[in-house]
Amino acid sequence: MSSLVVKIEFFIGATLLAIITFLVFIAAVMRFAGYPIIWSIDLAELLFIWLCFTGAVRAMRLRAHLGVDYLVARLGHKNRLIIESVLAVIFIAFMIVIAKEGYGLAVLNKERVFGDSGISYYYVTIAVSVGCFFLSLAIIANAVEAWRSRNTDNPVFIFAPKPSDDGTTQL
Amino acid sequence: MLLIIIVFFVLLLVGAPVAFAIGVSGFMFFLTSDIMPLSIGVQKIAAVSQSFPLLAVPFFVLAGHLMNESDITDRLFKFSRVAVAWMAGGLAQVSIILSTLMGGVSGSAVADAAMEARILGPQMLSQGYSKGFTAAVIALSSLITATIPPSIGLILYGYVGQVSIGRLFMAGIVPGILMMLVLMVTTYIIAKKRNYISEGAEKPTAKALGQAAWDAKWALLFPVLLIASIRGGLFTPSEVGAFAVVYSLIVGIFGHKVLTFEKIKTAFSHAVADIGLIMLIILMSGMIGFAIIFLQMPQDLSKFLLEGLTNPYAIVAVILAILFVAGLFFESTILVLLLTPIFVPIIKQLGFDPVHFGILMMTIVTFGSMTPPVGVAMYTVCSLLNVKIEEYVKEALPFMLAILGLVAVLLFLPDVVLFLPNLVFNR
Repeated sequence: MSSLVVKIEFFIGATLLAIITFLVFIAAVMRFAGYPIIWSIDLAELLFIWLCFTGAVRAMRLRAHLGVDYLVARLGHKNRLIIESVLAVIFIAFMIVIAKEGYGLAVLNKERVFGDSGISYYYVTIAVSVGCFFLSLAIIANAVEAWRSRNTDNPVFIFAPKPSDDGTTQL
Repeated sequence: MLLIIIVFFVLLLVGAPVAFAIGVSGFMFFLTSDIMPLSIGVQKIAAVSQSFPLLAVPFFVLAGHLMNESDITDRLFKFSRVAVAWMAGGLAQVSIILSTLMGGVSGSAVADAAMEARILGPQMLSQGYSKGFTAAVIALSSLITATIPPSIGLILYGYVGQVSIGRLFMAGIVPGILMMLVLMVTTYIIAKKRNYISEGAEKPTAKALGQAAWDAKWALLFPVLLIASIRGGLFTPSEVGAFAVVYSLIVGIFGHKVLTFEKIKTAFSHAVADIGLIMLIILMSGMIGFAIIFLQMPQDLSKFLLEGLTNPYAIVAVILAILFVAGLFFESTILVLLLTPIFVPIIKQLGFDPVHFGILMMTIVTFGSMTPPVGVAMYTVCSLLNVKIEEYVKEALPFMLAILGLVAVLLFLPDVVLFLPNLVFNR
């Protein structure tokens, strides 16, 4: 996968995380000081769902999502790739439906305003569609890479923990 | 409901990422329902993110990674070493104390176990501790992080079960410390018997202990500040999470003077991926959570439980036993997300405090990660130290019994768990 896309995804995710932290921090300080800012928390909650999906895409590219590969790891690598490819097709179909429904819902939600901030709820709902779209792209990229390098043990979804694993990408 | 369960298990068994197993199976409910449009499913995913309490998750994850990059682990390790290495089973005691202290910084049992397996494991083996014992102490002591605040698991439990996260944080402190003491005593007894005593080890002087504590002061102060700022509901846990991020930046840059821009980038990189994988599971569980409530699962199950049993303690004990068995096979996050909405209404009906139950539940489901057949912490430690699972299980048994004993005591003495939150929140 082109490293530029990965870098852009990281930049967006890190920026969102920094902004959200700052918004909540400032809101808490100002409320304590007696000058509450109303829109700050609303904006943080709006950006939160975008952070979640950006992070989810990044975790997908790193193959860091949690799962139980106990069984598939014992089936031989070729079989595992076949199973995972079938799963990939199912998940992408699932996410296309979600993305489509999400878009319809987002359009309906255009008028709905969020808290007291005047921000349209559209920007929340549309995140689900955009997120599912990029997650699908990441799955396709992983699958292509896994099949291209099928002689190594690259899976589509989950890396098994290795002795060098420091556990930082696990709960 | 049966369809949802079957789809979930099949996907999980063939190695699907948990987030998708939960998402696709939850979506089945909307796909097969005559009355629920698909768009409500999407609505449920989006709605999860619109929760202020959940914002605590990214903040504490980020703060934990920032502190890891700021030398805090190293300082806490040195402090623990000076404090308890002289006791019988010295390095094992260090591992237990370090887990407790690290629990106050980051909330991840697996990360804690992996870190200690790398730092402490080889030293313990070279001092003649048996392999199984070393792995057992390191893996099981990481259970302490499950209840010591800030615990990501407790944030999720509070969010799903509509329980005050501030009270949960307070309630986790005493059980965490008791867990530490119980494990230390068990270690002491075994170490005495086997003569695991550090050569020439002496009690530290007050000066040496003070010096080590001073070097680790920012890390030791963190949990104290955390508790002080949540006290009395002055700030919400999410706001405290944002403070924690700022605090760890200030400590790393100005206190320890080690946090460079590169290291901050590394911390953000780990944090973004961690947040993504946790939050995708949580977002996707919005659909299945709705299905559980809509299909009246809690009501059905409670009817079933209440028919057979009358004693509330017996029912809670049965629920904990169910959680224990489920914990053997599933990761704790999934169990908290899927089973909290089912069990919390039941225990509330019995007059149980959901804060009390939350601490017990969190301990039990995290415990599954230290046991066969699918314990992530166990596998991580055993593979890092090259220990056979059988050896691990044999040596872990006394510790496991001690932990289960403590859980039983906490079940029957709710005040041990609840007096601190009641004191702090004036109830």
